[in-house]
Amino acid sequence: MSESTTQTNSVAAALVSEDDVIRVQDLRLNFYTNLGVVRALNGVNFNIPRGKVLGVVGESGCGKSQTGLAIMQLTPSVGRYEAGQILFREFASKEPVDILKLDKNGPDMRKIRGNNISMIFQEPMTSLNPCYTVGAQIEEAILLHQTQDKTESRKRAIDILQKVGMPNPERIADSFPHQLSGGMRQRAMIAMALSCTPTLLIADEPTTALDVTTEAQILDLMRDLQNEIGTSIMFITHNLGVVAQMCDEVVVMYLGRVVERAMIDDLFYDPKHPYTIMLLRSIPRLGVNRDMRLESIKGSVPDPYSQVNGCPFHERCPSAIPGVCDTIMPDEIFVAGSQTHTVRCHLYT
Amino acid sequence: MASDNTKMLLEVKGLKKHFPITGGFFKRVIGHVKAVDGINFYIKEGETLGLVGESGCGKSTTGRTIMRLLEPTDGEVIFNDPNLGKVNLASLERQQLNKVRPNMQIIFQDPFSSLNPRLTVGDTVGEPLSVQGVASGSALRDRVAELLREVGLRPENMTRYPHAFSGGQRQRIGIARALALNPKLIICDEPVSALDVSIQAQVLNLLEDLQQKFGLTYLFIAHDLSVVEHISDRVAVMYVGYIVEMATTDELYYNPKHPYTEALLAAIPRPDPRRRHRPVKLPGDVPSPANPPSGCYFHPRCRYAEDICKNERPPLRDIGDEHWVACHFAESLSLQGVPRVSDIPIIDVPKRRDTAEVEAPEI
Repeated sequence: MSESTTQTNSVAAALVSEDDVIRVQDLRLNFYTNLGVVRALNGVNFNIPRGKVLGVVGESGCGKSQTGLAIMQLTPSVGRYEAGQILFREFASKEPVDILKLDKNGPDMRKIRGNNISMIFQEPMTSLNPCYTVGAQIEEAILLHQTQDKTESRKRAIDILQKVGMPNPERIADSFPHQLSGGMRQRAMIAMALSCTPTLLIADEPTTALDVTTEAQILDLMRDLQNEIGTSIMFITHNLGVVAQMCDEVVVMYLGRVVERAMIDDLFYDPKHPYTIMLLRSIPRLGVNRDMRLESIKGSVPDPYSQVNGCPFHERCPSAIPGVCDTIMPDEIFVAGSQTHTVRCHLYT
Repeated sequence: MASDNTKMLLEVKGLKKHFPITGGFFKRVIGHVKAVDGINFYIKEGETLGLVGESGCGKSTTGRTIMRLLEPTDGEVIFNDPNLGKVNLASLERQQLNKVRPNMQIIFQDPFSSLNPRLTVGDTVGEPLSVQGVASGSALRDRVAELLREVGLRPENMTRYPHAFSGGQRQRIGIARALALNPKLIICDEPVSALDVSIQAQVLNLLEDLQQKFGLTYLFIAHDLSVVEHISDRVAVMYVGYIVEMATTDELYYNPKHPYTEALLAAIPRPDPRRRHRPVKLPGDVPSPANPPSGCYFHPRCRYAEDICKNERPPLRDIGDEHWVACHFAESLSLQGVPRVSDIPIIDVPKRRDTAEVEAPEI
């Protein structure tokens, strides 16, 4: 796909800053399965400024994980990109590269994956290889990207394990994943992801499977590393507490589209899109909505094989305008008076 | 243990569940995992008691031992049965137990593995009815249809198999099965932790509605402290097989008396971007229940610990207003709870506007 065919609407163009680590433009991804076509991403636009933490929020099936995987070029083979580009800029002075134009298995992509961009997966239990020691798995990335020297790589692996707060890192490096607890495995995953000091870290629900005390440790760790190394983070989660504590900006996704994008403060104090508002009202928040009945968003996310006319949320939206929301797809527009807050809803046009 | 005995539905006294560890050639018992180690609590009729703690602290084992799905090692579980009066579940014979069972049911965590894939929804929900001989034939079908309607499913779904349903719907089937025999007590073992956020709200609302309608009593086991705050009247906190604190929800969250509760509450990420904080880290890891520390199990990680904590295990005692704490210094420590107020407005969903009056938005 050439530059000219890629549609970039004006709002998304106005929001990009000079120094974005990643700029996703009009990303469209379809899965061709035996049962039909699944439209996973339908024109996703966002950018992550250097050194910032972007939160990605939404129900399962909204495409948040697929967006993360697309940046890593780890999309399953049944998926095909219909349009869009993912521009990655390693440092400010360097020309951006379109990740989607790189060969998935080619040397250029392999140089980026795990080195400049790395990912923490949701399940610490299944994302580690049970047959290799934790140390060997961390060293693999270091040997591939940073150094050929085995004693040096071993030293770096132990260093990074120490940095993620592992007690006795030499012993941990020689132990197998099954010998570690859930929190320790997740820390090993983070150590692996950070071993090559990435420019961008994609964290896909890194704390969902953990207890609060472990979660607090992991968040603390990620914050320290962000301050130290200056890594930008894409934080995929549905825990609003974690979002509030960690993120600078948030995008809310629904059915493969970004429906609202705001600075963290605006999202909690002045949300606009009915979906965002209902999502905030449906999650028990400590001290905020204790005596309130939780909002239940009626129905569920539409069948992924079907195509919805108009705004994808109109069937579940209490404020849908008949004749408008069910026929016309709303554009992403700025909320009046704001330069950073965008929403995709007919109520604000 | 409690002051007002007439309203007690369940009283657990000194309940223990130890799992043997075997080793060596002859598989001799070389130790015990003390999953539940002498816990005391009570649940009054019509209330919801939340049971929280980190994974591996024995919450689920407690639920299952009360139900006698696991045989208790020691202790008493006094259940106030509407027909039989007070019975000790821990020592009941099979036959007697089967008479009590209809009054206590359990909802499991994983809606994907707790339903038999070979049984239709109708069979699953109807099974308790036929096992107890309550209904059969068309009466059974009517009752199952009624139950499905009660949990928000269509009765036509009776002939379908579990694989055809989403996680939230399956959890509703699990709830319908638990409701089938009009129980008094339902043990909810992490009923929403496997569900998506918006579905979680639907199931929590359903549980609240059913409680009001049928006067149910819940033991709500969960590790998500925000969910527990929302649904519980009282909360008990567990640490390595032992209840360390139990109080009303407000009291426990705003005015905790045990250092572990304080640490647990401090670790919850606050949903307010204007109040960012970095909690004081708890040193070390949760000790193994096979080899717990001496004295108070929390003392190696506790920043208030003194010599007495190493040697003596503090009993769970009432320090007034039904606030139970197992700490030697409960009265003298001043601990931090969660902030009571939040400035975050709860925003209403925007009103539907007529197409005619679409106008330029004002600032």
